[in-house]
Parts: sequence; C-alpha cells; structure tokens
Amino acid sequence: MQGFNRFYSLVSSMKTGLFLLFLIGVTAAVGSSVLPGSFYQIPVFKLLLLLLLINMILCTFNRIKLTYRVLLKRFGSRVWFRQLGILTLHLGIVLVLVGGLIYATSGQNERIHLLAGDQVDISQVLDIKHPFTLQLDEFRIEFNEDGSPSQYISEVTILEKGRIMDQVEISVNYPLSYQGVKAYQTSYGYLVQAAYLDENGAEKAERFFEGEWLYPDGTNRRVKIYKYIPNFNPAYGMQSVTLRPDNPHIIISVYENDELLGIGAAKLNEPTEIDENVYVTFTGVEPYTILEVKSDPGLPLVITGGFALMLGVCLAILAAPGRKKNTIKTDDIHE
Amino acid sequence: MEVLMDELLYVVLFCYLASALLYFWGNNYAKNWVVKVALVLAILGCILHLVILVMRTVLTGMLPLTNGLEFLLSFSWITVLLYLLMQTRYPIQSAAGIVMLISALLVSLVAILMKDQLGSVAPLMPALKSPWLTVHVVTAAVSYSAFALAAGLAVVQFFKTGQSIKDDYIYLLVGGGFALLSLSIVLGAVWAEQAWGRYWSWDPKETWALITWIIYAIYLHVYRSRDWPANTTRWMVIIGFGLVLFTFFGVNYLLPGLHSYA
Repeated sequence: MQGFNRFYSLVSSMKTGLFLLFLIGVTAAVGSSVLPGSFYQIPVFKLLLLLLLINMILCTFNRIKLTYRVLLKRFGSRVWFRQLGILTLHLGIVLVLVGGLIYATSGQNERIHLLAGDQVDISQVLDIKHPFTLQLDEFRIEFNEDGSPSQYISEVTILEKGRIMDQVEISVNYPLSYQGVKAYQTSYGYLVQAAYLDENGAEKAERFFEGEWLYPDGTNRRVKIYKYIPNFNPAYGMQSVTLRPDNPHIIISVYENDELLGIGAAKLNEPTEIDENVYVTFTGVEPYTILEVKSDPGLPLVITGGFALMLGVCLAILAAPGRKKNTIKTDDIHE
Repeated sequence: MEVLMDELLYVVLFCYLASALLYFWGNNYAKNWVVKVALVLAILGCILHLVILVMRTVLTGMLPLTNGLEFLLSFSWITVLLYLLMQTRYPIQSAAGIVMLISALLVSLVAILMKDQLGSVAPLMPALKSPWLTVHVVTAAVSYSAFALAAGLAVVQFFKTGQSIKDDYIYLLVGGGFALLSLSIVLGAVWAEQAWGRYWSWDPKETWALITWIIYAIYLHVYRSRDWPANTTRWMVIIGFGLVLFTFFGVNYLLPGLHSYA
C-alpha cells in the first residue's frame, strides 16, 4: 500500500508534470528543426503527451480537493477566485488533451475532389451514422483588383435520400457543419479541355487532369498536358502572374519515342501544331474544388477545454495577488 | 504619405535610441534630469510611432496587424506604451534602458529590412479574412510586450544584490503575458480549426509558441514555490523572451510553414 501511495504521489505530482512539460518542449524544439512535419508522430512524443494527460488528470483532481479546502477556510473572495481560475485552466488543458486523444483514436478526415454537378455520398468517405450526400453546384474563385484571389467558394447542396436539405456556401474560414461532419474549402485544381483528332481520326473533345497524356491522330508524337497557367507571362516561366485568367495558357511538352522535342505554352482556343498538319486546340478549363471532410467526436471537448483554459487563466490573473506580501503568502498553497 | 512615414520611422528610431542611452546614463549615475529627458523622448517617440500606425491603418483600411512588418511595428509600440503606463504605477524605471533598446532594435529592423513595404498595400489572402485575426494578433503582441518588459526587469536584477521586490513585478508581468499568450494560442487554434480544418497542426509557429508557453508555465509554477534560486528563475524569463523572438523571427525566416505570412 505504501508502495502504491509513493507511486501515486510520483505520478500525480506537480514536479513530474513540469518535468514532462519540459521534455515535451525540448523534444518539440529538436523535432521541429530535425524532423519538421513528422516529429509529433514519433511514439515517444505521443507517449509523453499521454503521460502528461495522466499526470494532469491526477493533478487536477488534487486541485479540486485543494480548492474546496480553500473555500472552507474563508481566505477571502480574491484567493478563492484565483484558486477557481487555476483549477478551471487546468481542467481546460485536461479537456483539450482528452479531446485530442479522441481525435487521434476515432477522428476521420478525407479529401474529396468535386467538379460542378458531382455528387458524393459522405458515408462512403467517412464512417458516419447519419448518411448524406454533398452535391457541388458551382466552384468559383473571386479576385481582388490586383488579380490576387479574394475568396474560394464552393456552392453545395446537401441531400438526404434525394431530398434537398440545405444549400450552402463553403469558403475559406467558413466551413460547412452538418450532422457532426465538417467540410472545409481546402484546395482546388483544373481540368483542361482539349479538342483533337484521336488515333482513329475521330473528332474528340476531352477533359484532362494536369499531368495526363494526349495521343493525337496522324503522328507518333504524344503531348503531356503539364499545367494550366491562368495569367501567362514568359518572364514568369511556369509561374502564373496572378490567379485571375487574364491570359490563360496551357504548358505542354511534346515527346517522340520518349524523347522530349520541346516545351511550349499553348494559348486557349488557338490550334497548336503538334506535328505537320496535326493540331490540338485547348478550348477551356474546368475548375474543381477540393474539400476536406472531417468527423471529430473530440471537437466539442477541445472547444470547451479551450474556452475553460482562457476563462481560467483570465480569472487567475485578474485575481492575482497584489503587491502586499501578506496576500502573496495566503495565495499560493502548494501541496 | 509613404515619404512621411519613412521619415517618421527614423525620428521614432532616434527618439527610442536616444531615450535608451539617456536612461542607461541617468539610471547609472543617478542623474534625475537625464532620466526626465529620456522619459520625454520615450513619450515623444511613442506618439510619433502611433502616428505611423494610424497612417498605416488609413492606408490599408485595416488595423496594422496583418503581416510581419505591421506586427513588428505594433509589438514595438505596445512595448513602449506598456512601459510608459506601468512606470506611472510601479518603480520599474531601472529596466527602462533595456526596454527602450529592445524597442529601438525592433524598429531598426523595420527600417533596415522592410522599409519598402511601409507604404505598400496588398489585399488580405483568403485565410486571413476572419474576425479572429484581430484578437489573435493583438493578444500575441501584448503578451510579447509583457515578456519583453519582464525580461528587461530580469536583466536589471542581475546587477543588484539581494532579493528585490522587483521579482514579484516580473512574476506579475509574466503572469499577464502568459494569460494573453494562452488566449492567443487558443484563439489561434479556434481560427485554425475554421480556416485549415484542424486546430493544431504542429506547424513551426504553433510548436514554438507552445515551447514559449511551456517555459513560462514552468516559471510560474517554480517561482511561487520558491524552490529555485532567484537567478535561475530570472534566467528563465530572459530565455523565455529569447524564445518569443525566435518564435517570431526564427520561425518566419528559418522554418517556413502555414504561418509564412507573419
């Protein structure tokens, strides 16, 4: 029993908690320089966070007892508020860590690509209880005067068993929240439309992803549709001057027998000669949206914890001891 | 207006530098009139600095909190303002030289590295268009200023003998800065959840803000328990401010990530 008590006080002590915090700080500092983008996935780092959570749960439990005793001893409202604030902020951190743990164990997120008119059954993407369908009605980019993007907007319809439930706009900073699923405007891309004669001599109008190959008739050359440049300027190379389609071009590369013949920028709606009397015309582009859909059962806990942390820390500071020595003495009662 | 802002920036820099030097001199040799001149220069610099911030606000139509240049200008201004307000109530004048020097260095960085941006206006990128921007950045800037002041006081403590009451002021400043840093991190997380779809990404800025938060959290715990020697806790406050500066400069210029705009 004595051994257990000693173990309990070790695991639940403030010193252990501070030491764990210190280790997390050092690991994060080294990790962010040596392994940026992945250090937080190392098992040791996860273990440290888990140990901190266990320590903080026990520490906070001890604090509840302490705060109760402070209340009974009637030190005055200032001390009581400070203790309440410190308790609330520790409780907040515990909730944030528990919420994060829930996301780590049962959270889901996926990216979906949608062209205008596309529908996606979200229950096929995420394992959710309440199935529904998202339909993209339109994706558009709004621009500032200088041609820089001002907002990315996906207009979507939410459907359940074919019935329209809602029509909403998803844009950066304004995600969709529906039945425990959130959908965020994350990225976008373009399909390139090309008109050409295919290998059998038939007229074709097709859409291509960037990076796909096109095989025209009458030549053994092939065309790689490399990239869409909305505002082309040779001085900027493969970079678009702005995102606004002020001078749209398609960067293509032409190959013959695996040998690169050349790279060029094809203007939209102008036939581009690939070989003698062989032409490809790029007729336009079709933007698609990339949404991130997420289900995070821990999110309400994290938000509650975050606000508890903010409330607690403000309360603790506003009720901080003044300059007088005697208030300092009664204020901080450590176990 | 650009030319005027440019010239004002140099006047502000001169005021802060001169004020810092006079404070060092006056405090060291107990010359009261020198300290008074230093105070007047600090106040004058602070007012002209405010004029630059107002001009920038008029120019962009937004509070000056949206990029690295504006953050530096606001952070250095709040540092001076915070000192000027605090010195009316608390005897912290001995730290004035260091605080004014820190502000002068921050302003000189603007003058050396970013002067051409002073008059330029660019529209906000979509991720920054959020009501959370103002509170997230203001809390960060004020917390950084409180940490700057605390570090200034901590440095001064090394040149004095015996435990001084000023350690309690350092504690109060760090406590206030810690509360604001906590707010800034949580509000930033709430915003990140809406803008990026995740409240915490271990992005370099987030990681280093957390590291900063951790060192001050440890300080706040050990200072009250009085288990650690005073000099150790003072060093923590100074290192903490070093981490604050690294979170701003180092992360922006060495470890690019989601926060690459500020």
